[in-house]
Amino acid sequence: MSRSRLTTAVAAFGIAAITLTGCAPAPSSEAGESPAETADALEPTTITLYTSEPQEKADELVAAFNEVHPQITVEVFRAGTGDLTTRVATEQETGKIQADVFLAADAPTFENYAADDLLREYTPADVDALDPAVVDPEGFYVGTRIIPTVIAYNTDMVEKAPESWADLTDAEYADRLVMPNPDVSGAAAYNAAVWLDEPELGEEWLTALAANRPVIADSNGPVSQAVATGTQPVGIVVDYLVRELAEQGSPIAVSYPSEGVPFVSQPVGIFADSENVEASEAFVDFLVSAEGQKLAVEQSYLPVRSDVGTPEGAPELDDIAILAPDLETIRSTQAGAVETFRELFQ
Amino acid sequence: MSALVQAPGSAVRRPRSLDGVDALTVVLWIVCGAVVLVPIGAIVALTAGGSQLGVLVQGDVVEAAVNSLVSATVSALAAVAVGAAFAVVLERTDLRHRRVLRLIALTPLLMPPFVGAIAWLGIAGPSSPLNVWWRGMFGGPLWSIYGADGVIILLTVHSYPLAMLIVSAALRRIPSDLEQAARISGAGPARALFSVTVPLLRPALLSSFLLIAVSNLADFGIPSIIGLPERYVTLATLVYRYLQSGTVDEPLAVVATIGVVLLVLAVGALLLNATIGRRGWELDASSSPAQPLPLGRAGTPLGIAMWTIVLAITLLPLLALLTQSLLRAPGVPLTLENLTFDNFAKALSSSTALAGAANSVMLATLAAVVCGVLGLGIGVLTTRTSARAAKGLNAVAMLPQAVPGIVIAVAWLIIAPRIGLFNTPWLILAAYITSFTALVVQSVTAPLSSTPTSAEEAARISGAGRLRALIDISSRMALPAAISGAVVVAATAVRELTLSVLLLSPGSQTLGVAIFNFQQAGAFSTAAAWSLVVAVLGIAVIGLATRRPS
Repeated sequence: MSRSRLTTAVAAFGIAAITLTGCAPAPSSEAGESPAETADALEPTTITLYTSEPQEKADELVAAFNEVHPQITVEVFRAGTGDLTTRVATEQETGKIQADVFLAADAPTFENYAADDLLREYTPADVDALDPAVVDPEGFYVGTRIIPTVIAYNTDMVEKAPESWADLTDAEYADRLVMPNPDVSGAAAYNAAVWLDEPELGEEWLTALAANRPVIADSNGPVSQAVATGTQPVGIVVDYLVRELAEQGSPIAVSYPSEGVPFVSQPVGIFADSENVEASEAFVDFLVSAEGQKLAVEQSYLPVRSDVGTPEGAPELDDIAILAPDLETIRSTQAGAVETFRELFQ
Repeated sequence: MSALVQAPGSAVRRPRSLDGVDALTVVLWIVCGAVVLVPIGAIVALTAGGSQLGVLVQGDVVEAAVNSLVSATVSALAAVAVGAAFAVVLERTDLRHRRVLRLIALTPLLMPPFVGAIAWLGIAGPSSPLNVWWRGMFGGPLWSIYGADGVIILLTVHSYPLAMLIVSAALRRIPSDLEQAARISGAGPARALFSVTVPLLRPALLSSFLLIAVSNLADFGIPSIIGLPERYVTLATLVYRYLQSGTVDEPLAVVATIGVVLLVLAVGALLLNATIGRRGWELDASSSPAQPLPLGRAGTPLGIAMWTIVLAITLLPLLALLTQSLLRAPGVPLTLENLTFDNFAKALSSSTALAGAANSVMLATLAAVVCGVLGLGIGVLTTRTSARAAKGLNAVAMLPQAVPGIVIAVAWLIIAPRIGLFNTPWLILAAYITSFTALVVQSVTAPLSSTPTSAEEAARISGAGRLRALIDISSRMALPAAISGAVVVAATAVRELTLSVLLLSPGSQTLGVAIFNFQQAGAFSTAAAWSLVVAVLGIAVIGLATRRPS
């Protein structure tokens, strides 16, 4: 099992910053129709989806998928990425992995699964329309949304927004910060590895951040709520939640730290154990199809294809700095990074 | 039920060597063994076999154990004090509107603890209107419910009704003849109440304390929603985190070891209860109602105090849930134009929550039926036969009542793969049966054991066999108790969280887990909307159920 493909993946991931700038602009007029019409040949069946998508978004996703494939029942099991990987590991020990499709935060998790031969190779139908940065060159998984992690702040309570990750270690923010738990959130686990890998930040910065005693919420959702309600007026959180709350009228805004933002691509993959291959493939196809991506944009996500527009209030990605480190480094250091985080913060 | 009692029914006329009662005993032993002894044996075996005893002295485990013990003990003491006081006031005084007050005072029992936690966050959470206002005036929040104090107060609020129920029932079983005798001998009404009736309540007070302490030891919803944000970790939340996030190696063996410690503590409490409460009195029910204690001038202030407390405990959480689910977005001020039904409508149409509700209703109904049948059989057998096997059966069936829910959940997790129930909803059903059969057994044995056996004796003298007397007399007498026990099982199971959150699998999410997950994922308005539904439905159900003449 040579994993030389990783280098290619790394290279692809590395150019994310460049290629991403190409997906952001201009809502396109007519997006190409998805391959959905051919789907009626599928047998009625049930697939199980393990996902870290917020429950309501996952429900909307399944509802939209069922408009195209009404004969496929999708059973959703929602939990944080960390909890999902634990569940998969337990299932692997006690028998067979229950899930057909895995849709969760970060590419390194998928790289690990691919390395363990848990994933089935599948390249989605519409792959050419996708941002190549999120497509696994070996075809084990494909990214479905671009999810940067940013600094959010309460506009009623914070007069001058923090402008960098370094700012957050300022004593001014002591006891006023909130961030997600990397044991639960895949994005948070990925971020921990990226921060530690970044020479400008590293363990020194993380230690300084811990000295400000941030509240560790279980996942990104409560972080955004805490910032919006002002319980902790500054938070480290994924950007789409902030956009959503701001749109609903909450006093919350985003600041893009000057050192750059890490992002995850919420990849999707099919487990090798799956007995419902065709239905699972249809689901993956739908996720990255024009319809699937339009839904993603409606759900405030940054899409992985350029022909579906971008959510209102989303940034132009060439205007912000992006942290896109070496994927193999992140994969090999992520578990240790989460451990370091746990020691520093808990 | 018919299946259980009819099978041995044909054996009635056989010679005494092995009659129907013996057959019934064997069947009940097998079932009871399968749902109680096997899982508990499995958790003990895994602990004994594994070498995870080291975890017990780890800092975070010790800290969680101390937190669990302190929060359970303190909240149980407070709950018994409040519950007993309420029971005496509402059962034995002439306070006006006692019936309504009683109903309202019981509502926290009908509100699942985690729903209460979600609701109280809206009242005393750091960003509740009260604390936001206070922060605006004085620079800091008045009181944040997060942390140890909040956990203990909420546990108390949610468990005092149980103490109140137990003490009220005991009060009603104490015949008024004794008080009357005291009154005739010259005691005043207060003296008669406090020197005759209250001492007779001691076993009820003790057993409600132990029952509440054990159940609070394992509560998951309140410490995870109220305690965790302040890093107040209890064993229940620690076990959940270990199992869910795999932050330790061999999580199952580790949590099994923690579980056995809890088990030892709980069984100790059970034995204590049994030793102290063994000498029960067989009191003949009396036909004359007890004379209420006249409150006189104290009536009005006491009435005002009762109404204030009871309404604060009941209405405030409901109002908080209502505002949380109607507020347009988090962080906007609470004004009329910021209220909308959009979130509420969206929440109620959530397919996940609806599927969870369907799962919960299904599992609760099945659990009620199975527990009802089992409990009736065990209750009748153990109160009406003197065989040692029957007494043992009672002990085994009651054991889970002293076993914290997380231990039962972990036990079923351990044996699940071996019996093919891993990742199925039936695992949750099995755990419900293990946990809740005792509720029915208890509700059957309580009235039966204080009812004289004269009716059965008459049947036997008239020629009925042992089994026949049990079925025709004892079971008939106990049937209403068994049914009300089964209703309690259904009501408990339908809003259950501790067991189902640990035994969760794809497709078997219960309503409690769905609401809990909404809350954990930050979908607070959805969680609040469903909490409100659960709370209001629960209160409506108890309102209807208690309307029946008892």
